Amino acid sequence: MNGIRDIEKLSAYLDGQLSPSDSIKLEARLKTDPELASAYDDIRFARGILRKLPARKAPRNFMLTRKMVGLKPPLPRTYSFFRFSSAFATLLLMFTFAFNAVSPRLAVVPAPFGMGGGCEGGCGGGGPAPELQAPSAAATEAPAEAEAAAAEMLPADAADAERSTETPSPKEPEAGLAQQAPGQNEAVLIPVIWQVVLLVVGAAGGLILFLMNQAAKRKWK
Amino acid sequence: MDETALIQSAQHGDLDSFNTIILHYQDMVFNTALRILGDEDRAADAAQEAFISAFRSIASFRGGSFKAWIMRTVTNACYDELRRQKRRPTTPLEPDTDDGEEMDSPKWLADPNMTPSQKMEADELEHAIQHCLEALPDDFRTVVVLADIQGMDYSEVAAASKVPLGTIKSRLARARLRLRECLRGFEELLPSAFRLESEEI
Repeated sequence: MNGIRDIEKLSAYLDGQLSPSDSIKLEARLKTDPELASAYDDIRFARGILRKLPARKAPRNFMLTRKMVGLKPPLPRTYSFFRFSSAFATLLLMFTFAFNAVSPRLAVVPAPFGMGGGCEGGCGGGGPAPELQAPSAAATEAPAEAEAAAAEMLPADAADAERSTETPSPKEPEAGLAQQAPGQNEAVLIPVIWQVVLLVVGAAGGLILFLMNQAAKRKWK
Repeated sequence: MDETALIQSAQHGDLDSFNTIILHYQDMVFNTALRILGDEDRAADAAQEAFISAFRSIASFRGGSFKAWIMRTVTNACYDELRRQKRRPTTPLEPDTDDGEEMDSPKWLADPNMTPSQKMEADELEHAIQHCLEALPDDFRTVVVLADIQGMDYSEVAAASKVPLGTIKSRLARARLRLRECLRGFEELLPSAFRLESEEI
């Protein structure tokens, strides 16, 4: 006998899994080799006793329920659209609330000293910022030089007319800034009507989703 | 039963079709789990897990032997259970007899057609075989259960175990040899009728 190789051959022979030529060779050896024949009997015994084991019936039914496998009722195609629109409207609504809450606070925050930005139009009714006064001064000086040159070439009344249209008076920029200041100081708020619309869209979407779910479950049952 | 049609239907999510398949295979699946695990309750749990897992992954079935595929699912469930058992070993509680002693196999002898002596023999035989099966390594036990108890051919066992055919042949031969060695120790316990039969084999 040739160890485990022969055991494997005997096992395969027993199951009819050996090739015809190998089977013939093994049968010849079985007749002459008592050790091999004994091993063959052992394997045959083991297989025979396993086949004697009674088949047991399943103690219960293993049939699956939808809950066991986590199946959900099929939903209509429009379900995803309503889900998206409802979620989007809710998000937007939250954003409007957040924006309206934060916007007034941003509007009244004074500009840090020396930064210049944010309160260029004049915060809190103070005078115009220094850098805004400089252009107005420059605007009065530069035209004045041009006027002197032009006065030599143009008649006096024409020069006066030109001056009145092209050169702003030194007080004009201040007046303009004073008009802009109140507008920039007010907080921009999202109108309540938009919030109401978003609320309606979100709530209606949620209601439709709920109804769709219920209808699908009823149909599923 | 048109198995192919049922499988295709189940692949499209039809649970009723899959339940029809379950009815066909549940005894085989339970028996396989029982012989691998050696405990009826855990075998039932493993069988249930196997069917749930099979339904969830049935889309991955690409033809071939469905029996081998479902057997692979149940052997995987059994291996999971064996790993769980090794992590958290438990001692099963056997029901007591009237004398207050533990009853070893209360349900095995449920066949009403058997005489008491036949029941005793069947009990002893099953005990001895199960003991020897449990003494085998898990891989060997699975192969021998599929090939010798479930009667699957080598290619099906190879598909169910996901190991090459040569490995199946080798494992089966070794497992049978070990079983024979183990059962020698139980020869006196084996029923007389079986002893006579085994001598005739």
